Amino acid sequence: MSATDINSAVPGSGAASRRMGWLYGGILLGLLNTFAVATYAALGVSRNYVFVDNLILRAVGSDLPTTNAYLSQKIPTSVDWLVMLAVGMIAGGFLAALLKGGLTTRAVPKLWASRFGDSRPKRFAAAFAGGFLLLYGARIAGGCTSGLVLSGVAQLAIAGFVFAVSILASGILTARLIYRGRAS
Amino acid sequence: MTAAALIIAQVSDAAQTATDAAGTVGGTDTKALVVGLLTGIAFGALLQRSGASSYAMIVNMLRLKDLTIMKFLFIAIATGSVGMYLVDSLGGIGLVAHIGIAPLYLVSLIVGGLIFGVGWALAGYCPGTALAAMGQGKIDAFVTALGGLAGAITLVLTWDYIQPTLEGNFNYGNKNLADVMGANPLLVAVSMAAVIVAFVLYLNRLDTKKKAAGSPGTGKHGAVTSSH
Repeated sequence: MSATDINSAVPGSGAASRRMGWLYGGILLGLLNTFAVATYAALGVSRNYVFVDNLILRAVGSDLPTTNAYLSQKIPTSVDWLVMLAVGMIAGGFLAALLKGGLTTRAVPKLWASRFGDSRPKRFAAAFAGGFLLLYGARIAGGCTSGLVLSGVAQLAIAGFVFAVSILASGILTARLIYRGRAS
Repeated sequence: MTAAALIIAQVSDAAQTATDAAGTVGGTDTKALVVGLLTGIAFGALLQRSGASSYAMIVNMLRLKDLTIMKFLFIAIATGSVGMYLVDSLGGIGLVAHIGIAPLYLVSLIVGGLIFGVGWALAGYCPGTALAAMGQGKIDAFVTALGGLAGAITLVLTWDYIQPTLEGNFNYGNKNLADVMGANPLLVAVSMAAVIVAFVLYLNRLDTKKKAAGSPGTGKHGAVTSSH
């Protein structure tokens, strides 16, 4: 109850009042990660992108899954807990939006459009390039916001702290460059 | 109470499943897959409900205009840390260490992190929030995930060339803050959580001031975020 009290006291959330507050949401996510660690493994996502790539390569009959050392040594061929976690995340986003509102087919975010116009190709190019860099970087580092920050820092891994500082520094700098000169 | 009992009962399971076939995480048996799916649904729903699957919420956090998602993430880390090490100490089998502490490849983490940050600001999603946003129907999140598949396979194909540089030097092994300090991990987790909560309260004051200062902007900003 005190959690929702504090959250409702957070200004600026008026238009987004259908959302869960950061305190309540954060506590629930921390408890979920505790449950995940206690039952199977820590929450993580980025390896699954390589899993899907490997799946596609095997489906088209490529020999890379067996000849490439990274794929053959690090990426499993059978569906595991972590793969199902990613499948669940897509379903969870869908179900939450279905039940509480938020289902959409929008392609260009309003904030993006206010800076770059509502061109779909332009937004898709940035989204694709962004996704490319996200996963190229995450697989270099060995994890993403989930595995290295949400779980890694919680596990007190020094690697998590280093990654968190790196992504925030670079993300803040890039976002400020993209929206430079904009007050809101 | 029941949940606590369940968690403790699962501890021994986790110890076995985590050592399953090479490369798999958390096991491949039916129970592992079902629990993984349900955990994922809760994870995706929490990200969506908290606004973390919103382009504007992520980008405005990185622009330091609205720190809601940063506060959400920090509280999740603090809660998770205390929770994990509490279960760990109750289970008494070094559960957290068993699941694996990420290796401290300093070059990999910094280079990978800097590249990741650029992608984060461009996409407005991270690899996980893109999945929840995609489930919600956001087409640019789906495109981000496609870009992610391309980035991941490019990494695989270039790995042999970059790996010696990334992992050859400044490799400090699976370092954990508690080990480095030679302290009880639960105590370190609780201390870190206290520091995080204090920092989040400070961020919250900044955020509240910022939003109060620009009340006309608040309405506009609200319109931007609420429409995702």
